[in-house]
Amino acid sequence: MDLSYFIFLSSGLFLGWSLGANDAANVFGTAVGTKMLRFKTAAVIASLFIILGAVCGGAGTSRTLAELGSVNELAGAFMVALSAALAVYWMVSSGTPVSTTQAIVGSIVGWNFYSNHHTDTTILAKIVSTWLICPVLSGILAVGIYWLVKRVLKHSKTHIIRQDLYTRIGLVLACAFGAYALGANNIANVMGVFVDAAPFHEVAIGNITFSGTQILFFIGGLAISCGVFTYSQKIIKTIGNDVMSMSPIIAWIVVVAQSLVLFLFASQSLQYFLHAHNLPALPLVPVSSSQAVIGAVVGIGMAKGGRGIRWSLLGKVALGWVTTPVISALVCFIFLFVLENVFNLVVYH
Amino acid sequence: MFQLKISLFSQTKALENKIDLFHDKIMDVAMTFKKAIAVFLREQRSEDYRKLCKQIKNIEHDADGLRRDIENKLYAQNLIPDLRADVLELVENLDRIINRFDEVAYKFYIERPDFPEEYHAKMKELCEQVSDCAENMAIASRAFFRDFSTVRDYSQKVYFIESESDLTSGKMKEAIFDSDMPLANKLQLSGIISEVADIADIAEDCIDELLIFTIKRDI
Repeated sequence: MDLSYFIFLSSGLFLGWSLGANDAANVFGTAVGTKMLRFKTAAVIASLFIILGAVCGGAGTSRTLAELGSVNELAGAFMVALSAALAVYWMVSSGTPVSTTQAIVGSIVGWNFYSNHHTDTTILAKIVSTWLICPVLSGILAVGIYWLVKRVLKHSKTHIIRQDLYTRIGLVLACAFGAYALGANNIANVMGVFVDAAPFHEVAIGNITFSGTQILFFIGGLAISCGVFTYSQKIIKTIGNDVMSMSPIIAWIVVVAQSLVLFLFASQSLQYFLHAHNLPALPLVPVSSSQAVIGAVVGIGMAKGGRGIRWSLLGKVALGWVTTPVISALVCFIFLFVLENVFNLVVYH
Repeated sequence: MFQLKISLFSQTKALENKIDLFHDKIMDVAMTFKKAIAVFLREQRSEDYRKLCKQIKNIEHDADGLRRDIENKLYAQNLIPDLRADVLELVENLDRIINRFDEVAYKFYIERPDFPEEYHAKMKELCEQVSDCAENMAIASRAFFRDFSTVRDYSQKVYFIESESDLTSGKMKEAIFDSDMPLANKLQLSGIISEVADIADIAEDCIDELLIFTIKRDI
């Protein structure tokens, strides 16, 4: 196996770490922020299910990213992932929740510009449109679940202590589902550009066979888990309480809404099912868990009258969404130039 | 895993029962107090009254144990993190009501106030009102734990009964100070009436806080 592959893969792993630090916090940040789950418990659950989601359901969204720009040299892929990772890292360091998807899309477009490859505007428009659809859909789902839960609570007359127990169980399940959906949806951001050059062979464990891509995604999943354990606590502080202070039940609704959105944009089986029944299906696109969470939080905030939402912080978050792809594309363009002209590496062909 | 689940559910059920039992204690103490004062007015510091005072003391003692247990479990098991402070405050407030019943009953025992016959009916009425007030406070509090949409209904009852008890105690004091009994006697009876009426005031303060907790309880 070529060692240089792993050196180039390091940027993808760094991006995976950034995703773990930033996006995984969206999955269980509300649960930890409301003190319903311990950070360690949530991190273990999230890590396991992120890896499971990445290995079992990560193929669909990878294809869409490949259609946007098939980065055809390993050094180019290295820089695309590194630029996205740096953009995410800077934003995370400043305490702003960002989207890894936007960072990687910005980087790929930067690579397309640098290498004079045509950027498929239809695919780009499809991806960018999901940046709007994702928070809106998440908000709508969150409001729907909010009204449903409110109604159920009113009629069930569950004791406050029992309700607390159910909420905890619900949060654990929602975190597991959210982590699975995040792994399935976002692994393409981390490892998508390295798929073509992956040197891994099929591995059979019992009756289950893992493809080379799945092994690559497993490594990416491990990198995400590292990010979860080492750096996600800082972001949790922002997501947990800053945008809107929330109760544990609201935290559960937020996790479920964003998990559903991530799952809808990642599930190939669901897409086949909807196509088979002549129903419109959502594109398999990596979407931002940050946007989904913010959408859900704002949706519920507005359903409650909009009084608790801190719009100023939301403005800062929205600004991060615009600047992330731009910074990422610029960094990628400049660094590709450096890589090609200073280190004499081939970054495209 | 299955055992863990069973254990979680049984622990939850046990705490629910303790909270319910704590509310039962308020009902018990309110009814026993009403009965005790009626006995006192009839028999003064009799053996029956002493027994009823002892009963109130036992209820207060049991309630203290339950309160400590509830508080410990809420903290030790890190339950309801968002509402824990409110629930602890509520439990403390309810305990204050129970304590006050005990203190007033004991005050009757120690001071042996001599209520003339013509004030007995009013005194019984006042005791009835403060007991009703405490009972409705307990029902409102129970509703907070299970069906918080009805808390407002019971709180209105508490407000109404509390203002009625204010009127009753005011009228009694007026009548006492208009009477010919010695000033020392008047002051003693007035003080005792204030102490009894104070139970309803505490219940009213508790309900004020409970209404705020209820707003926070809504998701």
